[in-house]
Amino acid sequence: MMKVNVVKNVLKANDIVANENRKIFNKAKVLALNIISSPGSGKTTLLEKTIPALKEQKSIVIVGDLQTTRDADRVSGIALRAVQINTGMSCHLYANQVSESLKDLAIDEADYVFIENVGNLVCPGEFDLGENLKVVLLSVPEGDDKVAKYPTTFRVADIVLLTKSDLLGILDFDIKKVKDDIAKLNANVTFLEISSKTSAGMDEWIFWLKEKRSQSVGQQARFVTEE
Amino acid sequence: MHELSIVISLMDQIEDVARVNKLVKIDEIQLETGVLRQVIPEVMQEAFESVKLNTICENAVLTILEVPALVVCNKCKSQFEPAIDDFLCKNCNLADVKTLKGNEIILKAIIGDK
Ligand SMILES: Nc1nc2c(ncn2[C@@H]2O[C@H](COP(=O)(O)OP(=O)(O)OP(=O)(O)O)[C@@H](O)[C@H]2O)c(=O)[nH]1
Ligand SMILES: [Mg+2]
Ligand SMILES: [Zn+2]
Repeated sequence: MMKVNVVKNVLKANDIVANENRKIFNKAKVLALNIISSPGSGKTTLLEKTIPALKEQKSIVIVGDLQTTRDADRVSGIALRAVQINTGMSCHLYANQVSESLKDLAIDEADYVFIENVGNLVCPGEFDLGENLKVVLLSVPEGDDKVAKYPTTFRVADIVLLTKSDLLGILDFDIKKVKDDIAKLNANVTFLEISSKTSAGMDEWIFWLKEKRSQSVGQQARFVTEE
Repeated sequence: MHELSIVISLMDQIEDVARVNKLVKIDEIQLETGVLRQVIPEVMQEAFESVKLNTICENAVLTILEVPALVVCNKCKSQFEPAIDDFLCKNCNLADVKTLKGNEIILKAIIGDK
């Protein structure tokens, strides 16, 4: 009988690839966003609205789904390029699946890389893909108790989008409760109400994206000159 | 859930460690999981049972030690253990913290035979 003390981060393999991805995103001067939500919260619909609204700025989309290429097909006409990753059994994307897709996407021709993760409010938040920012969607029909029930994913978000806000008058939904629950987790999360149907909140979302992209690219430019 | 992904990474690391240390049979695996990682021990055990068949871990037990969370307030620098859904600093009434503990998933030790 022999005891071996190891002390190793079990997710190290994923983290190493994620950091490589991050370097690739930064070098290409793109803003990479990991988009996380339950199934059906409106991730793909939001991308269908967002990409044209970014006008001259170009987007590449990477979509993770258990099965089918439906979501990539939905955005392939409007994005510069779109690729679907079928995760099969896995309920989240891994960094190495993203790194494989990056090989033939020529992302330096784009301004944004949107990574639509597998619909799931728990697991995607645990696996770094190398993104610059995490976008977490909560749709009105899911109910106002979801931040309290899935706190970890909301705590690591950079922005929470309350989607399908056009349904606020129809369903009972307490926005204040959601905002309070988020404030208990992380004071630095941005919160926006948005509707892909009516375009309410779309201007603020586009403004946020552009601001984050210029901040991120600006930092990278400084970083490069310092090197 | 993500427990299966974690167990698969864990198995890769165990095999590396076993090879380096010339272990042919693993008796126990000691794993530390931070509470902020949303790992459910029972689900992790089930995932482990499902992947260990026909490996050097076939007869091994997985011991999971849960590590409580510890954060430091960015404003007043006080340290505290947050609840999973409440990271408010009691002094500042603000959730603006850095995580010191609770995010780790660490393979601590392996007990086996040569
Ligand atoms: N009323 C309303 N419905 C919306 C809105 N956005 C999306 N939907 C509807 O919600 C459903 C799911 O939208 P998707 O965009 O496919 O959701 P998703 O998050 O990409 O789903 P998965 O990829 O399967 O996880 C569709 O029927 C959309 O038409 C919105 O702002 N308002
Ligand atoms: Mg979708
Ligand atoms: Zn404080």
